[in-house]
Amino acid sequence: MTSTFLSARSLSKRYGAGIALNNVDLDIHPGESVAIMGASGSGKTTLLHTLAGITSPDSGSVNYEGTDVTGLNETQRSKLRREAFGFVFQSGLLIPELTAIENVALALMLNGVPRRDAEAQSLGWLAHLGLAGMENRRIGELSGGQAQRVAIARAQVTGARIVFADEPTGALDSTTSAEVMTALLNATAGRGNTLVLVTHDPTVASRCSRTLFMHDGVLSLAPTSRPAATQAIPGASTGTTFLPQLSQDGEARA
Amino acid sequence: MKSTLSILWMLSRPAPGSKAVMVLPAVAFALVTALLLIVLAGALSFFTNTAADDPTGMAGIYQMLAAFAVSLMVLPMMTLGGSAARLSARRRDERLSTLRLLGGTPALVSVLTIIESTLVAVVGIAAGIVLYAAALPAIALIHFQGQALGLATLWLPGGVLFIAVAALILLAAISAALGLRLVILSPLGVRTRQKAPTVHWLRLALGAGAAVVLYLVMTVATASGSAAIMIVVLCAAFAGGLALLNLMGPFVVKWIATRRLARATTPVRLLAARSILESPKAAWRQVSSLSMTSFIAVVAGTGLAIIASAGDAHNAEDAILYGDMRTGVLITVIVSFLLVASSAGVNQAAAVLDRRELYVSLDRLGMPRPIMESARKRAVMWPVQIVTIGSGVLAAVLLFPLTGLAIIFAPVSVLVIAGILAGGIGLVWLGLAASAPILTAVLREA
Ligand SMILES: Nc1ncnc2c1ncn2[C@@H]1O[C@H](COP(=O)(O)OP(=O)(O)O)[C@@H](O)[C@H]1O
Ligand SMILES: [Mg+2]
Repeated sequence: MTSTFLSARSLSKRYGAGIALNNVDLDIHPGESVAIMGASGSGKTTLLHTLAGITSPDSGSVNYEGTDVTGLNETQRSKLRREAFGFVFQSGLLIPELTAIENVALALMLNGVPRRDAEAQSLGWLAHLGLAGMENRRIGELSGGQAQRVAIARAQVTGARIVFADEPTGALDSTTSAEVMTALLNATAGRGNTLVLVTHDPTVASRCSRTLFMHDGVLSLAPTSRPAATQAIPGASTGTTFLPQLSQDGEARA
Repeated sequence: MKSTLSILWMLSRPAPGSKAVMVLPAVAFALVTALLLIVLAGALSFFTNTAADDPTGMAGIYQMLAAFAVSLMVLPMMTLGGSAARLSARRRDERLSTLRLLGGTPALVSVLTIIESTLVAVVGIAAGIVLYAAALPAIALIHFQGQALGLATLWLPGGVLFIAVAALILLAAISAALGLRLVILSPLGVRTRQKAPTVHWLRLALGAGAAVVLYLVMTVATASGSAAIMIVVLCAAFAGGLALLNLMGPFVVKWIATRRLARATTPVRLLAARSILESPKAAWRQVSSLSMTSFIAVVAGTGLAIIASAGDAHNAEDAILYGDMRTGVLITVIVSFLLVASSAGVNQAAAVLDRRELYVSLDRLGMPRPIMESARKRAVMWPVQIVTIGSGVLAAVLLFPLTGLAIIFAPVSVLVIAGILAGGIGLVWLGLAASAPILTAVLREA
């Protein structure tokens, strides 16, 4: 039996009249890769940000390895993100005036690693991700796929045990997208770490060990086309706590 | 019609966090207006005061110096006004998204944004006029030509006031329009330039050559020892030195930043050095007027200290002239520092807004906000220090025998100059601190 190390209970979040998260429960286990799919505006990013301690939910809690993430203050959450989590965003969002290696090394330097060591480790990661010889290029001199691999190196160089990726292939063509997904999976789940990934590309999702679906703030095991009116209403589903479990049925078939 | 009105209404409401984007440009315009009017009033007083009676026969010299000082300060004022108007025009970004939802045209947003930026400037200008009027009693106490300036001479004639205000409003409108054009050119805000631009080494060679020539000319001239030649020499040193500084400045900034990059051990130093190297020319340009300031402070300060301590000014008129030049230099230096400090604040605010998305992502990665703040402050403060100290040292070297004498015979004057430069650097730091709320707002909104 695998142990839970990131778990969310009854997460709810509204923005004005809109519901971004509606009573979401979720358990994530070490070493798995979880894809979260859903239409635009269904709450995927909000869920990812809440799990990662970027956004605070209106109610509910997130627990990471025994730490109540939702109970931390802003400074503590910032520290948690920089030390324990890795992030890959849609457009890389690397610092344009830094070189590839400096972008990666910065993540370690922020955790107090001396620059020399940080750059040595970063060099290894960049080479591992097929970017050998490109360390000293500025971000503008890299292609979209290469920039995403720099972002992957930045997310894993600190040894983060969990990486959150929000549409990491959203800006890439399908070939590059497949390459970046391979790199991302190898760098994370391939090394025993965990990947939580938001995507609306079924091909990308199919490569993860499990896929979940968001619809109007509700998380489910299967894609749903039920109209919003029949969706779970907070409190209505008492007793039937909805806990998607790690399963093998979403396994990628090459 | 009704929908246009409702769009107008929607757009006229301030977006969250945009308060600082409105306040900074307004304050900048108030400062530019007040300083422009005060400087103009002071300069003009030399033309009206001495027209009737000119017992000393020095009206010409005063008028020349006043015109010179004004010409030095007008450009930085225009620059500040321009960047302030461009900053308030950045709000257009937020609006475009609102507008798409409402179904308006981009042209409408552009026009509204220009009108709004101009209105912000007008509010600032009005405050500036009040500030000018309020400061007059104090300014009136400043002594020139042995007497206080006096309130009467400092009230600008209606015509001049009107022209100055009209010019400022025009500047605001044009800059806002230009600001829009820039935004349209780079909709993503963050410019991802392919290669860092290079600064040619030829600058340094040319600069060094010019420095040698300048030094020889000045050594020959100072040997003659007369006050008139001394003034000519000071002016030549000044003009030549400025040209020299602008030639070498970007190169020196780049060179020092490269060395600091190599030795950077902390994230803050790494980020600051890289941010300067992104465009050493831009880093230089933002603070280049300080090179002039620091240069004047040292050249004029040294010259005047020497003359005063050497007892060259035997007659009362000369003594008064030198004293007045000291006052003039002091005013020019303070005004330039004020202008650069406000420019730094306004430019940094715009830079943060331009890179909003990047700052938000760094915050999500867990980069501590104090590190982001220090990095961007240092990216400006390093060039400020390089420019101020470098220009001061260059001036001191060019005037070498004189500076040596000044340190020996007039140490207090030298300390005063150093103190003023240090105070000015502190002022720029305050200007940068004033832009901090923008980053806080950007991160809170995300
Ligand atoms: N900062 C915010 N302010 C207001 N509404 C927001 C904000 N973030 C998300 N939302 C709203 O919450 C809902 C879910 O958004 P999001 O999580 O970004 O969806 P997804 O990532 O699936 O596209 C949307 O309706 C969106 O408009
Ligand atoms: Mg999203």
